[in-house]
Amino acid sequence: MDVITNLAFGFEHALTWSNLLYCAIGCVIGTMIGLLPGLGPLATISLLLPLTYSIPVDGALIMLAGIYYGAQYGDSVSAITMKIPHASSIVACIDGYQMTLKGRTGLALFTAGVSSFIGGTVAIVVLAFLAPLLGQVAFLFGPADYFALMLLGFVCVSLVTTGSLLNGLAMCLLGVLLGQIGTDLESGTLRFTLGLTPLVDGVSVVSVALGCFGIAEICRNLDAREERSPFNGKIRLMPSWPEFKRIIPSALRGSVVGSLLGILPGGGPTIAQFAAYAIDKKVSKYRHEIGSGSIEGVAGQAAADEAAARTSFIPLMSIGIPENAVMALMMSAFIIKGIQPGPNMIAKHPDLFWGLVASMWIGNCFLLVLNVPLVRFWLSIFKIPYSVLFPSILFFCCVGTYSVNNNLDDVFITAAFGLLGYILMRLSLDPAPLMLGFILGPMLEENFRRAMLLGRGSFKVFVTQPISATLLGAIAILILVQFASAVVRMRSGGFSPADQAGSADRDASPAEMIKTSGG
Amino acid sequence: MANQNAVRGAVISGIALCFGLTALRYPIGSFAHAGAGLFPLLVSTLLLLIGLVTLVKSRFEPAKPFSFAWRNIGIILLGLFVFVVAAKVASIVLGIVLLVMVSSLAATSYSWKRVLAVSVALIAVALAFQKLLGLNLQVI
Repeated sequence: MDVITNLAFGFEHALTWSNLLYCAIGCVIGTMIGLLPGLGPLATISLLLPLTYSIPVDGALIMLAGIYYGAQYGDSVSAITMKIPHASSIVACIDGYQMTLKGRTGLALFTAGVSSFIGGTVAIVVLAFLAPLLGQVAFLFGPADYFALMLLGFVCVSLVTTGSLLNGLAMCLLGVLLGQIGTDLESGTLRFTLGLTPLVDGVSVVSVALGCFGIAEICRNLDAREERSPFNGKIRLMPSWPEFKRIIPSALRGSVVGSLLGILPGGGPTIAQFAAYAIDKKVSKYRHEIGSGSIEGVAGQAAADEAAARTSFIPLMSIGIPENAVMALMMSAFIIKGIQPGPNMIAKHPDLFWGLVASMWIGNCFLLVLNVPLVRFWLSIFKIPYSVLFPSILFFCCVGTYSVNNNLDDVFITAAFGLLGYILMRLSLDPAPLMLGFILGPMLEENFRRAMLLGRGSFKVFVTQPISATLLGAIAILILVQFASAVVRMRSGGFSPADQAGSADRDASPAEMIKTSGG
Repeated sequence: MANQNAVRGAVISGIALCFGLTALRYPIGSFAHAGAGLFPLLVSTLLLLIGLVTLVKSRFEPAKPFSFAWRNIGIILLGLFVFVVAAKVASIVLGIVLLVMVSSLAATSYSWKRVLAVSVALIAVALAFQKLLGLNLQVI
């Protein structure tokens, strides 16, 4: 019963007044940005990264984690009430919004809140048991294995977040190249700096994230010129007992699916929701109702969403390799705070690891209160017009960038990445894999060089190691399957709708998508 | 109007060429002892390959129009530029006011009252960051 003593130890750390406060701040900010369009968790975490310099390590990480999983809660609220999907709540728009149309908004919100709570709780149990175990496995990894694992992550993220392997891989590789800017650590050569002094230390993560996700996103919203009408309907929150009973089985199924998919490379909330929704459609007792506003259609995906958001911390904290873009950003946060995530982290900083795990459950309780009884208050946030919101977001982008190095010139770099992000967006390229590539780039190069050194310059080193050979085999299979299906699709001619649905997972609202794809 | 798929292939190939050709100027070394240029060269070669495949593929796929609206992104970038220059030459306060003034041009409507109110609120926030969080902002 190590886990229980460890968790108790974790709660001791998480239940101090200051950590409770940071957890609450993280959850409130997370819910807010989950609700509002224009700032996803990626942009917000990078905005707050420089502000956490003066906060103690555990508090800072608890707060940043709270923003991430808090945003998943907030998402579903705007999806259910107004059919505004962002970050990762496309699925909540289907049944959730249908329920609103039927006048059952309160029930949908209650279902989403409770299911998220269940999903989060299951995921924390998985996290507490699995992370230390997986950490043992990570000790077997050599440089070639790490290299292969990162490549597998790139391929999976490309497939999952963009739906197109070519586009996604292009973004990953572009990210890796951008990560090369600056001084080469081994030889001291200055690379790709264009002779500019601010680039000698490389581009800061904050600039890339705020440019590609903050500024580009603002322009996307401005181009769309949609005026949202705030939700004014009635909300009756408490469900009847038979309704409540229908939530539980779906939520449990969703939690399991979400926990599993959250661990896999490239996994995370988005794919977990789709999977949970599909499974509910197959096995639920009320499957005939799903799609037209049923409780199951909301409960399963909300639980999966929240569960995956938490279990995606497992690969980061036990192996040291983030599996999606937000986790990559969390890794930078760990490193900025002087902690190297990886197999040694749990042993070296048990207070931090178990404190973070325990804080996730406390955050769960905060979020349940914030999102169910207080949901009316959050809906009033939508009354703020976008013309007030976006200059403020721009200002926060400036302050966030500036305070990394106290250098105003960095704002120019952020602006340049804003332009890049906007161009990429107009080319239907998703910047999320770019972020992952950017943060993993230096690690990828280091492990590649080391593996090649050990293999005396021969590429055989990647196939003779059992772990890396298996991982590379998995990559080959994924690419072959993708290639084969592309050939089949071209033969049959024309577009398949799956093409479009795959690229829809990030924050494009359906209406916006129709606009961009139609010109 | 240009085909979005073709433009995407061209942009990716272009970026790959920029990085690849620059990487050639750095010491390449051997595979066993990689120099500074080897890894970027490998990565940009792969990226170039992807770009070319995208270009070729676009010939066989139905064309998608490529739309690019310069107005909003231009206004936003101008706003950021003005903020930095004003903050360097004069003060952060002026920078904030100009940032809000310029970027509000991208909104659907323009009102002086709103610009003023947002500016004042943001200056207050900046002041709070400086005094409470210890950020090096020098608002006053």
